[in-house]
Amino acid sequence: MPPAFLKKGHTMELDYEESKAKLVAGLQKKLKTKSKFYFNDLAKILEAKPREAKKIVNRMVQERILEYWSSGSTSLYGLPGTGKQDAAEGKE
Amino acid sequence: MAFISSGYNPDKPMEDRITDIGPRKYTDFYPPVIAKNKGKWLYHDVLKPGVLVHVAESGDKVFTVRCGGARLMSTTHIREICEIADKHCGGHVRFTTRNNIEFMVDDEKKLDPLVKDLESRKFAGGSYKFPVGGTGTAITNIVHTQGWIHCHTPATDASGPVKSTMDVLFDYFKDHRLPAKLRVSLACCLNMCGAVHCSDIAILGYHRKPPMLDHEYLDKMCEVPLAIAACPTAAIKPAKVEFGGQKVNSVAVNEPRCMFCGNCYTMCPGMPLADDVGDGIVIMAGGKVSNRISAPKFSKVVVAFIPNEPPRWPKTTECIRKIVEAYEKSANKYERLGEWAERIGWERFFEKCELEFTHHLIDDFRDPAYFTWRQTTQFKF
Amino acid sequence: MAKSKTPLLDQLESGPWPSFVSDLKQQAEVRAKNEAKTEFQIPQTVVEELMGLLELSYVHKRGHWKHGGIVGVFGYGGGVIGRYCDQPQQFPGVAHFHTLRVNQPSGKFYTTEYLRQLCDLWDFRGSGITNMHGSTGDIIFLGTTTPQLEEIFYEMTHKLNQDLGGSGSNLRTPSDCIGQARCEYACYDTHALCYHLTKEYQDELHRPAFPYKFKFKFDGCPNCCVASIARADMSFIGTWRDDIRIDQEAVQAYIGGELPPNAGDHSGRDWGPFDIQKEVIDLCPTECMWMENNKLMIENKECNRCMHCINVMPRALRIGKDTGLSILVGAKAPILDGAQMSSMLVPFIKAEEPYDEIKEIIENIWDWWMEEGKNRERLGELMKRQGFQKLLEVTGIDPDPRMVSEPRSNPYIFWKEEEVPGGFKRDISEFRKYHQR
Repeated sequence: MPPAFLKKGHTMELDYEESKAKLVAGLQKKLKTKSKFYFNDLAKILEAKPREAKKIVNRMVQERILEYWSSGSTSLYGLPGTGKQDAAEGKE
Repeated sequence: MAFISSGYNPDKPMEDRITDIGPRKYTDFYPPVIAKNKGKWLYHDVLKPGVLVHVAESGDKVFTVRCGGARLMSTTHIREICEIADKHCGGHVRFTTRNNIEFMVDDEKKLDPLVKDLESRKFAGGSYKFPVGGTGTAITNIVHTQGWIHCHTPATDASGPVKSTMDVLFDYFKDHRLPAKLRVSLACCLNMCGAVHCSDIAILGYHRKPPMLDHEYLDKMCEVPLAIAACPTAAIKPAKVEFGGQKVNSVAVNEPRCMFCGNCYTMCPGMPLADDVGDGIVIMAGGKVSNRISAPKFSKVVVAFIPNEPPRWPKTTECIRKIVEAYEKSANKYERLGEWAERIGWERFFEKCELEFTHHLIDDFRDPAYFTWRQTTQFKF
Repeated sequence: MAKSKTPLLDQLESGPWPSFVSDLKQQAEVRAKNEAKTEFQIPQTVVEELMGLLELSYVHKRGHWKHGGIVGVFGYGGGVIGRYCDQPQQFPGVAHFHTLRVNQPSGKFYTTEYLRQLCDLWDFRGSGITNMHGSTGDIIFLGTTTPQLEEIFYEMTHKLNQDLGGSGSNLRTPSDCIGQARCEYACYDTHALCYHLTKEYQDELHRPAFPYKFKFKFDGCPNCCVASIARADMSFIGTWRDDIRIDQEAVQAYIGGELPPNAGDHSGRDWGPFDIQKEVIDLCPTECMWMENNKLMIENKECNRCMHCINVMPRALRIGKDTGLSILVGAKAPILDGAQMSSMLVPFIKAEEPYDEIKEIIENIWDWWMEEGKNRERLGELMKRQGFQKLLEVTGIDPDPRMVSEPRSNPYIFWKEEEVPGGFKRDISEFRKYHQR
């Protein structure tokens, strides 16, 4: 028996606007300590399975609500304009 | 140097945007003899070091000339490769996984002029541009990482040690005299972008000092939680530190737990770890990836540390030369370096390669360590 | 800017092996002269300055680069690695010097027309310094400034029909061996499968949602020329399940010394006359070969397809006709718990378009890893943490002795309740009827 999350169609499509607000609020709450988050952190805030969360996150990147940050080997997400390295990298 | 736009409009990044198209399709680039005979090759022969012929069911032949090269390559050099490929190979060329360049012709008559042309080309400094070799039991090109030319956590350079090592091994590149293939790889730190851990001989850059802590700037430059999360051994903790009479937010490193990976420096430029004395090279040996005769093997650490000695790394190259020569003298035909070491026993390997065995070479990292200790009375004096 | 002097690097110009220093110098000169009248979009002196910075590393024995979090182009989470020099006043030309990964074609075959297009673009908008190729397989463009990234991507996609490769927590650019294009050992079309899956999983390659990196590599046969078994989270290694094809006349030609063994690979040394007993039959790991009436016999059922006999006598022995591939999973470089090689998951599967069965396995594994994998945990580490059984469960694959090198040597089997008849719930009072306290 495959685990529950592998069964197709068991999650409801997430509402985009609702999810977006939830994610932005969740990230802003944590901004005091850090500005960059792993994908899994985002999925947790969204309370969604990774594949569902990815659809929301991709769209938020397209809309410039989220942006990527990369260590080269690992990718992180953050709200644009936040974070201490931003200035140091002289974002043009 | 006026800015010239490609047509991209920064205000509307999605306008006319093309994404997710992937690589070019391989069929765009096959030489005709390859396109025609793909999947129908019968056998191959190595005519001499660096020169192969593959024969197809159709009777067609493709002759390949393999040349070594630096993987760090300029467009000037690539344009010269193109010029050669146009002149001899109908405008086709390929690269190998190990950074060699392969020129192919479909007629034996075209072979000699191609080889002569390649061997005649030299850089102004005197080195060959396109040395022919590296097939079969010849030592082929070293796969490697960036090193000091572009990496941010290297413990050694890559291009320099590779050039120095290949200069020392050059006769082996040109000759089929070893018992079997011998693959040398280099990774400039233990993160091993180059995955050297299954090579006959691996040159591995290694830091030996934990990161320095730039307390004054650390909290300004980086996000402490990210630096903490980056540490694979959980050696970093947040800390309040006295600096200039003030308490500042910073981190503390549990130094005995540090494995010198540099991951914290990636996330936090306030934690540099590179050091002229601390950094150097580990030599590993006896790995392979082929399933031929015996299963693939990991490389084992045979020299715990050699200092960085730019520009030519003489101790490193001398160590490699000794291992290769001992292997050449003593291994059986078809026997890879690791198979040879296992047959004669590692105690004999150290003796034959004139390498010192030190306590650093005994595994003490987590569970797998036990399985490398000797649980038998069988050993050699 | 004063010209950098590079006395240490200069010492790497001598010796026979191609000198990257000489190459950098010729590139610096070509840029300085600019006979092609290129309107350089990044500083003309960039190569000299790169050499100056490298010389400084040779003096200090330390690198001079800082990492940057820049990821590349809009909407992509990988393909660019940010690099900043830590001596920007001394070397302003390389103050910002980012890497682009360009997805290489399968087999790394090129036309010169295409290579020149790449060179033109990179001379115009970058340093003109490359790696052909990087460790993962990409064409690496080494060094440009932030404003050029979108411009390069635009020209690459619009004019060259070419996309970037992967970095970060993405599917990394898949790579393959030369395969059937020019190798008689290849058991499946590595180029076709590599290309197909690269195209299929573009979203996974560009938009990171994995816990960490994930690599596919495609080897056509068990010789493993791209080292998939050591480097890839999923290693696709060609194999066959019928008989090795034998040409007995060619066997005799090897025995008679008319054909050189190992395709001439040992030509540099006198190893004495070829001895089929010693060099092939006795080295066979399964001892499944022998000579009978001057014929080479193989008990194919016992063969484990190590390739040795075929490698020694390529004119006489060929791979079987019923070919496909094995899928092994979980390889990674050492950090943290030590290096891992891939472990056998699917002993044999056909490799035929549209590769639906293969994709089903991939996607089941990804679903599990995306759900259960910790941040920065590779598939091989998740397998160790949750067990091989879990991998079988999520992929729906039945256990098979081919998946292990030996059965477990401890009996500590954590039986699940549903595996034991009657389950774990029992009636203590019923038990006490027959067993006093």
